[in-house]
Amino acid sequence: MKGFRTLFWLEARRSGAWALALIGSLAFWAWGLYQAYDTTVGIRAILLTMAAVIGAIVLALMIGRLRGETRGGQFQVLLLTPQRGLTHIASRFAFALATASLYYIVLGGLAWWALAMAGGSVPASSAAQLVLALPLYGIATLVAPLLAWTLLLMVFIAAYRVSGTGWIPGTVMILGTPLALRWLISWIDRVCYSLPGWPILGGLQQVGAFVTGTSDGVGLRGTADGVVYVPQEPLWIMLALTVVLLIVASRMWREVEA
Amino acid sequence: MTQAFMFVVRALLLCLVGFWAFRLWIGTASWTARGVGVFFSAVLVWQIVAGTL
Repeated sequence: MKGFRTLFWLEARRSGAWALALIGSLAFWAWGLYQAYDTTVGIRAILLTMAAVIGAIVLALMIGRLRGETRGGQFQVLLLTPQRGLTHIASRFAFALATASLYYIVLGGLAWWALAMAGGSVPASSAAQLVLALPLYGIATLVAPLLAWTLLLMVFIAAYRVSGTGWIPGTVMILGTPLALRWLISWIDRVCYSLPGWPILGGLQQVGAFVTGTSDGVGLRGTADGVVYVPQEPLWIMLALTVVLLIVASRMWREVEA
Repeated sequence: MTQAFMFVVRALLLCLVGFWAFRLWIGTASWTARGVGVFFSAVLVWQIVAGTL
């Protein structure tokens, strides 16, 4: 536990500037949303989507940076005893996940603010879902697996540092991932809504219509009376995938760095 | 003509991925890294042989 806390502190010192810059960038997006207050809902949705995507990319770059301190062994000197691979991986992942949680919850708050600026009345339950439930669902389904995949990629490349062929594992994993992901997504699509969906944004007819509306007037799967039913299967599957990726990365770290 | 061309392309891609898989196997002492390398190489081989390429 002490090792985890020390590594978490080191991670905060090393990646703190990245995290602060990312959180600070929300001021820019808030300014952009304020400038677009008299435009259509679509422009504000595009701005929020851009903020979410760029945030995920910055987080992946932050967690995947190669660090000379790790290669030089200063961690072991600082900690006096070598730490388990899982501790290293967990501390890096936990710091990035904490930054992501803060970023996306504030982004959810911005979405709520943008809706309020547009004159939409937001009930308390829908506001809480917009600020907390949806960002955390997105983090668990998309951001956490992306961060775990990035960690595995960097450790996988580091495993070939001695042989000097780091570009081969990087190329194979980056080319193979979209293909494996396609199978995974088609499987998730098959099992979706086997369990009851979670009703959200019940009091937000405007958002419900925006998210689920189609040009032919037919609602998408998982919607009823303007209420969005979020499937819970992707959440559990992607969380399980995240855990598997982290365990594989920690095993690899132990074999390579220990 | 097109089928013959695609056959040659697939054979060349298989050789390339096979070479990568070989380098991934011999380039590390970590068995987990070998396993991950074999998994992603197999995904690429499957796509080349039975995929839509």
